[in-house]
Amino acid sequence: MTTTAIETSYKPKSKVTFGRILVYVLLTLGALIMIVPFIWMLSTSLKDQQQLFAWPPNWWPHPFVWANYTEVMTKVKFGLYGLNTLKITAVVTIGRLILCSMAGYGFARMKFPGKNFLFFLTLATMMISSQITIIPNFIIMRYLGLVDTHLGVILPQLADGFSIFLMRQFFLTFPYELEDAAKLDGCNPLMFYFRILIPNSKAILATLAVMTFQGVWNDFLWPLVMLTSPAKRTLSVGLSYLVGQYTTRWDLQMAGSVLTVLPILILFFLLQKYFVQSIKMTGLKG
Amino acid sequence: MEITRTLEPPPSFFQKMRRVLGKYFWGYFFVLPSLLIILLFKLIPLVIGFGISFTNWSLLSSPEFVGLANYAKLFTDPTTGKVFGNTFYYSFLSVPLNLALSLALAMALNQKIRGLAFFRTAYYIPVVAASVAVSAIWVWLLSDFGILNTFLTSIGFHSLNLLQNTKTALTAITLVDVWKNLGFNVVIFLAALQDVPDELRDAAKVDGANSRGIFKNITLPLITPAIFFTAVMGVIGSLQAFDLVYNMSMKHEGGPARATSTVGFYVWQNAFKYSKMGYAAAISFALMAILLVLTIIQWRMRRKWVYGEE
Repeated sequence: MTTTAIETSYKPKSKVTFGRILVYVLLTLGALIMIVPFIWMLSTSLKDQQQLFAWPPNWWPHPFVWANYTEVMTKVKFGLYGLNTLKITAVVTIGRLILCSMAGYGFARMKFPGKNFLFFLTLATMMISSQITIIPNFIIMRYLGLVDTHLGVILPQLADGFSIFLMRQFFLTFPYELEDAAKLDGCNPLMFYFRILIPNSKAILATLAVMTFQGVWNDFLWPLVMLTSPAKRTLSVGLSYLVGQYTTRWDLQMAGSVLTVLPILILFFLLQKYFVQSIKMTGLKG
Repeated sequence: MEITRTLEPPPSFFQKMRRVLGKYFWGYFFVLPSLLIILLFKLIPLVIGFGISFTNWSLLSSPEFVGLANYAKLFTDPTTGKVFGNTFYYSFLSVPLNLALSLALAMALNQKIRGLAFFRTAYYIPVVAASVAVSAIWVWLLSDFGILNTFLTSIGFHSLNLLQNTKTALTAITLVDVWKNLGFNVVIFLAALQDVPDELRDAAKVDGANSRGIFKNITLPLITPAIFFTAVMGVIGSLQAFDLVYNMSMKHEGGPARATSTVGFYVWQNAFKYSKMGYAAAISFALMAILLVLTIIQWRMRRKWVYGEE
């Protein structure tokens, strides 16, 4: 009850003017342009071939054809692709959180020779585009025997300049008193990192986790180049092959698209706060 | 002497490291794992890639040094000219369009709108969706029997083969790029607009400024850092465009007739389709050089128009 009272007291003094109505109309129109393609994807994924091309378009499939999903799961192994994607994404996310928070702590709080140079080097790598590294990295992976392995997809993504920068900026603001107190209690830096720093950095870690998870889940070029055998594919790579193979099976293509997009959309709806935070954080870079 | 030495436990690896590095041990301990990854997969590849660009390596045979031949070929290969042209078109269309639309949307959303969370979520959905899925959805929407063409033919028009027409294919893909990435900039601009203090605007209003004047003289200057940031990110991102081009062109060929091939796509094609590692590396370094120059120009110009940069 109190919340509604607060909300009403803050209610904008909105006069219903032509301009205001126009703003709402345009915003709604824009939102529809953003959402409708996804609704059409969902709708198509539940139709059989006869329903696909009906005019006027049928937004509510009749009947619901779940067979598209079973076909995509069995013929094209989307279940397996999902597991592969989850594995790669989870390992990269956890690894990056650990490594980059460690490096961020080191760069923010430790003293050692060459620190500034190494930090500058780390920042400079943000300028190296993936087009540049993809060829030599593929060749390095060939020498390491890691082509067509998930480990090969994972390794280069475990640390990146931006995440280190982000963590460092956050740790710079961490109160020094806590660190001194911990030192007096006989905490070494590793214990401090695990017992005090990490438990008190949940929000920033969640933000970095969400950012990484989304990027790796949707990543396409690197896994496309690295994963040659069908059983190792990720959802994005698998979907790309599915689209190429079943060029006119829009129902199957859309079922595959739903399976690729849905997990990340659910995550987005659950953790929206951190998603929005993560974009604002990327703004720090400028 | 011998006996006391054996009684002492042998120093562990960590203890040895600590003795050597002394008080600096922990600093290196925390930064080295990340630096190792960055060294192995960012810095060393930079050197290797540059080396490869002077060879004719096909992965099958051993590489031969060819000097500047790959770089010279950049200027004679007509396809290279075409893909660079396509990429610049992609960039010049998508970046300003994205900035203008997202700024307009953010300003509309900043007017104490109801349902702000709903709108922001709606605009952000395409950003989190995988580019491959986005490609599949739009190829289906724009296909011969897709909803757009069925609608056009039902009201007596010809169907538009946007993605199969050399004149429209690249524009169509670029617009899908704008559609997909719009929400990202909306959130950035919205955050920047919310940081503009209300008092400034109110004061200007009291002084008799109209809404256009307030926008031009107060709001716009204060959000120039956000505009700068989105412009730089937009240029860097669009010059490397790959996912949509690969997935929206028929059979992943960057067609029709090279109409949608971008530099990023041509790099991939040379390296992993034609096995011309050397030439692909040379193209990627040419692109990197252009990116660097553009970024430096943008940073130089930043002083002239970004607020708070003198």
